[in-house]
Amino acid sequence: MAEKDITLTVNGTDHELRVESRKLLVHAIREDLDLTGTHIGCDTGNCGACTVYKDGEAVKSCLLFAVQADGSEITTVEGMEDQPEAGMGNSDLHPIQEGFHEMHGLQCGYCTPGMIMAGKALLEENDDPTEHEIRENISGNLCRCTGYQNIVKSIEYAADVLNDREPPESPVEHEGASMETAPDGGVETDGGCTGPDLTREYPGGDQE
Amino acid sequence: MKAAQFEHHEPTTVEEAVSLIESLDEPTILAGGQSLVPMMRFRLARPETVVDLNGIDELDYLQEADGYLKLGALARHADVEESSLIDRQYGSFADTAPLVADPQIRNRGTVVGSIAQSDPKGDWGTVLLAHEGEVVAHGPGGERTIPADEFFLLPYDNTLAEDELITEVRVPTSGDDEGSAYHKLKRKVGDYAMAGSAARVVLDGGRITDATVALTAVDITNVSVPDAADHLEGERPSGDLFKQAGELAAEHANPESDEHGSAEYKRNMVRVLTQRALADATERASNDGPAARYGTDQMAVGD
Repeated sequence: MAEKDITLTVNGTDHELRVESRKLLVHAIREDLDLTGTHIGCDTGNCGACTVYKDGEAVKSCLLFAVQADGSEITTVEGMEDQPEAGMGNSDLHPIQEGFHEMHGLQCGYCTPGMIMAGKALLEENDDPTEHEIRENISGNLCRCTGYQNIVKSIEYAADVLNDREPPESPVEHEGASMETAPDGGVETDGGCTGPDLTREYPGGDQE
Repeated sequence: MKAAQFEHHEPTTVEEAVSLIESLDEPTILAGGQSLVPMMRFRLARPETVVDLNGIDELDYLQEADGYLKLGALARHADVEESSLIDRQYGSFADTAPLVADPQIRNRGTVVGSIAQSDPKGDWGTVLLAHEGEVVAHGPGGERTIPADEFFLLPYDNTLAEDELITEVRVPTSGDDEGSAYHKLKRKVGDYAMAGSAARVVLDGGRITDATVALTAVDITNVSVPDAADHLEGERPSGDLFKQAGELAAEHANPESDEHGSAEYKRNMVRVLTQRALADATERASNDGPAARYGTDQMAVGD
């Protein structure tokens, strides 16, 4: 077997790994380092879900063998909260993460780690991009849920935080909004539509 | 799928790389890897040994020297995109770089790798042809240069020998009276070209003294269009002249119908793209300044 010893600095921690030459960087990150925030979406290099920040630029970690990243410094989505910018907004999160949270930048969330890392690469180069620049810079990242509108707004939100501007108010209702259980077990919201009560007990749910 | 097992070699000099390539059994050369890595994962490529160029610092350059614009084997698409030299003097390179794939791929993928891949849908081969450039190859016998118009043979095939390595591509330096442009039609952002056209013109006293036109994705390789060049040379630039050159390019093109469009449609687009590229190249030849200021901004979006 063709194996090599490599060192990866991931989110500030040095890791010494023995990997097969054929192992992709994304597999080393997910399987050897157990950092499963970096996703594999398409297996072809198209979708960008595996984007990580390597030595100062965004790369698709499924288009790089782990041996090629020997000695490099990598940031994954798990490391975002430890970045110097984290906590600049209204939470301990990185402003980009907070932007996705506040601006409803995700639905299923599969593309989100890649979007966040592509967003980081952009904001490191230019902390106040135009909408067009944001769209160009996430053009290597596919999202099948949001239609991209709120992803763009999420990165704009982060740019607002980084530039000391008041970011827009979140369109998303957060905890604290009053919710009461409706007679049918659903939840009546302010808009009058009902959803399931996720905390209710179901008959037969406690199996021994 | 995982790639098949391979031995990974990391030379740090060109000399070491050349001797590795000579001694190993059918090695594959890895530079940016943005096409090769997926090919290996799908096992369309199953090399037993890979010679990785990324540790050879002497191949990482983009500069003007000895009358050429030279791009080393490790010059990435993003390096071209960010270069102020390119922006000022090489409009076709400035047009092409941001139209290649997406930002992450441009950070890794290389211009030389794209030319070595010799995909007829690749953009850089067309730019190289339009600038009448050369491929610099190193092998056991030393260095040789291959003119662009003798380089491409078939899809994914070229005249590089098995034991040779491309260390550089280069094009003659562009003077102030030269302008160039590349226009690309693609289905969506980041896609390969459905059709593309590069044009280069040199103006002297209001006349075109030298011109080239080359095309992407409409033949079995990137091709140049000598008929169009001949038609342009010695003439005064005009809309009618570019229309005729566009028609000659369309006649020269040999596209195939596929899921993206009919051959007839692509041929018509070759005509239109060539006219536009010629107009942009002429505008840039007559003006000094960044490529984006003169000619068409193909990255612009409407509401």
